[in-house]
Amino acid sequence: MVGDGGRRGDDEEKRKRKKKKTEEKDDDIDDDTGTGVHGEKKKSIILPSMIKNKDKRMAVHAKRKHEKKLEKRKRAKERELSVKKAVELGEEIPVKQVPKTIENTREVDDNIYKIDDEEFMEEKCHDEFSKVVENGHVPKILITTNRFNSTRGPAFISELLTIVPNAQYKKRGTYELKKIIEGAKKRDFTSIIVVHCRRREPDALLIIGLPFGPTAHFKLSSLVLRKDIKNHGNPSGHKPELILNNFTTTLGHRVGRLLQSIFPQDPEFRGRRVVTFHNQRDFIFFRHHRYKFDFKEENDPNDTKAKATKETSTQKPKVAVHLQECGPRFTLKLRSLQHGTFDTKGGEYEWVHKSEMDTSRRRFFL
Amino acid sequence: MPRTIASECPGCPSIRALTTDEIGRIKVIEARGKISIPKMVEAWGDPDYNRHIYLASFANRERDPVLAVARKNKEVELINPLTGDVIAVKNIGEDPLGALHLFTSRRSNSRSNTLLMCTEKGKASLQSIQVCDGISANTVFLKQWDVCNAGKVECSSVNGSENYALFAGKGIEVNFWDIEKNEKIWTAKSPKSSNLGIFTPTWFTSATFLCKDDHRKFVAGTNNQQVRLYDISSQRRPVITIEFRDKIRSIAEDTDGYKIYAGTSKGELAAFDMRTGKLLGSFIGKCSGSIRSIARHPEQPVLVSCGLDRYLRFWNTNTRELLSSVFLKQNLTNVVIDPHFSGEEIAVNTVEKTMLTGQLIDGNEVEIGGESSIKTKKTKSKFKTIKHTKEELEPEHKRRKKRVAEE
Repeated sequence: MVGDGGRRGDDEEKRKRKKKKTEEKDDDIDDDTGTGVHGEKKKSIILPSMIKNKDKRMAVHAKRKHEKKLEKRKRAKERELSVKKAVELGEEIPVKQVPKTIENTREVDDNIYKIDDEEFMEEKCHDEFSKVVENGHVPKILITTNRFNSTRGPAFISELLTIVPNAQYKKRGTYELKKIIEGAKKRDFTSIIVVHCRRREPDALLIIGLPFGPTAHFKLSSLVLRKDIKNHGNPSGHKPELILNNFTTTLGHRVGRLLQSIFPQDPEFRGRRVVTFHNQRDFIFFRHHRYKFDFKEENDPNDTKAKATKETSTQKPKVAVHLQECGPRFTLKLRSLQHGTFDTKGGEYEWVHKSEMDTSRRRFFL
Repeated sequence: MPRTIASECPGCPSIRALTTDEIGRIKVIEARGKISIPKMVEAWGDPDYNRHIYLASFANRERDPVLAVARKNKEVELINPLTGDVIAVKNIGEDPLGALHLFTSRRSNSRSNTLLMCTEKGKASLQSIQVCDGISANTVFLKQWDVCNAGKVECSSVNGSENYALFAGKGIEVNFWDIEKNEKIWTAKSPKSSNLGIFTPTWFTSATFLCKDDHRKFVAGTNNQQVRLYDISSQRRPVITIEFRDKIRSIAEDTDGYKIYAGTSKGELAAFDMRTGKLLGSFIGKCSGSIRSIARHPEQPVLVSCGLDRYLRFWNTNTRELLSSVFLKQNLTNVVIDPHFSGEEIAVNTVEKTMLTGQLIDGNEVEIGGESSIKTKKTKSKFKTIKHTKEELEPEHKRRKKRVAEE
């Protein structure tokens, strides 16, 4: 079904590649002539990998590594000193350099969600989630599975039940999903979560907002259950706090709101439970933690003098934060977002991932 | 090396498109000059979900064009597409509309507009709206008839000379009506069940006439992924059936009389040749949401599509490459093209204006452009120092008026 456009594109690419090759060849020739002049200099550099004796090679490599490390430290110290100097002299502090990552060099898209835009504000008050998120309707969740479900599936569901307050698990039986949705609408459920297992391993998550949708289909990967996490905690029954991180585009915001609508909007801070959905490069990482604040009095051995001076003034207790993970841990990736409830035949999609969209590793949608 | 392909958008020729969205706003997108990047120029109406526009029809006339929109709050509005003023508001009954068509011809005088409406339950009516002063309007029911008894009307189309109309929908086979005589001429027959004996229920989602002059051939898109060509003169079953990837959501015809553009619910847009029934090629790369509406520019090789991915996209129909896209914040429901848009560049315009203002300097106060005009009072300012801010903002309707007057 490939059209002429695709073929033409291929031809162009080939031509480009050919051009590049010829250019590279030219470069090579230049290099050859260059070695004629600087040949001796180039030969004098011996890379550790060129040494054949293993002991020697290791020694040289270790030495080089050590030197590099020292250099790096030196540079860091210099930077620190320059900052200190600037502070002392009251000059402008040199700009701290930020490393370039794929995420902060993402392709610029204009579909960024703006909170203060009037259209988005209107949408916020009237979209499918406003009943739960804005108007304080208590969410009621139905969790179910695909037809065949065993081993890690049920274990994952039992943990989901501890995370999501007011959630119920119902066996799937042989019901069609569309009928389940109809039934759930009648019983005032606000969302359905379907855990899909394949080869006894959960691999997809379907979150359906009720009664009007939308339906999000996620790929679920790298699932670590609670018992496999070292030093895990056991969550209490309090309503958790929710952190939604980094959902910037309109699509991302919508997905964020869908996830938000699963949880009650009045967290019990006494429980000190946090549920995090962190979006990074279109992968949504789920984490579940307990936290604790420890109020400690300062007793650093180095700062005895400082302590003496501080004692006279009002003393601020030092706060130490402790985090304890209480699983599970998993990663979601959006595959499609459907307008309305689950309907594969007659449904309309708001967003579908297609392979032709992956034109760049710096293009993100959430 | 990062694997990047620079997203190139070459820009599109001068064009003016109007979109309607779920928040009840009408947005105007314009590109001026030979090749430029289109921008949103105006947005009419307050954002309000209750005024969700779900249908739109554009009477394409050089002199006083009209845009008709159907809103969720049971109103049909006639809007001046140049200024955004509401000409008339008409209340429709409880049933939402399944089809809306505003006639380009059929006017008894310049203040009357004829509408063809059909509710989802199949009650079709031909109405003439007389615009009186202000917003009050007189409606005259010209004709009324029942298209069907059961099912849900989802799409309709009126042919180029506006004598015939067709209706189709969920559970309704294509109905072909003569508007003059008010009678059903022809009905389609559903295709035979497959060799496994499986019968797919009828569900048409979109329809259009293949050619402007020929009312006998038309194309319909179905829910079960088919594009069908019907010919009234030959048979009641489809002449050609093409299977495509997903549910067909929208269909638009080309000016050449055989090409068809179809958009699906998964955001795929493709061109078909209806003489052979072959896929000419897809418009790939960017669309990610259901395509609700497609429009073809009558002169330039530009195709406009919009839908649930909140973008309005401009495509080249020959090369099928993306020319440009505009992010419009909301789920878009309809797009129409204003073909009489002059699209002069602003620079050209300013020259015109400076000439005008040059004349103004002598006579202190002059009116330009009829009733609604800019009054300028200039005594001191010299020819060179005039700033062009006003000229840049000079709205389309004034320019149009001027042009018509010149002709």
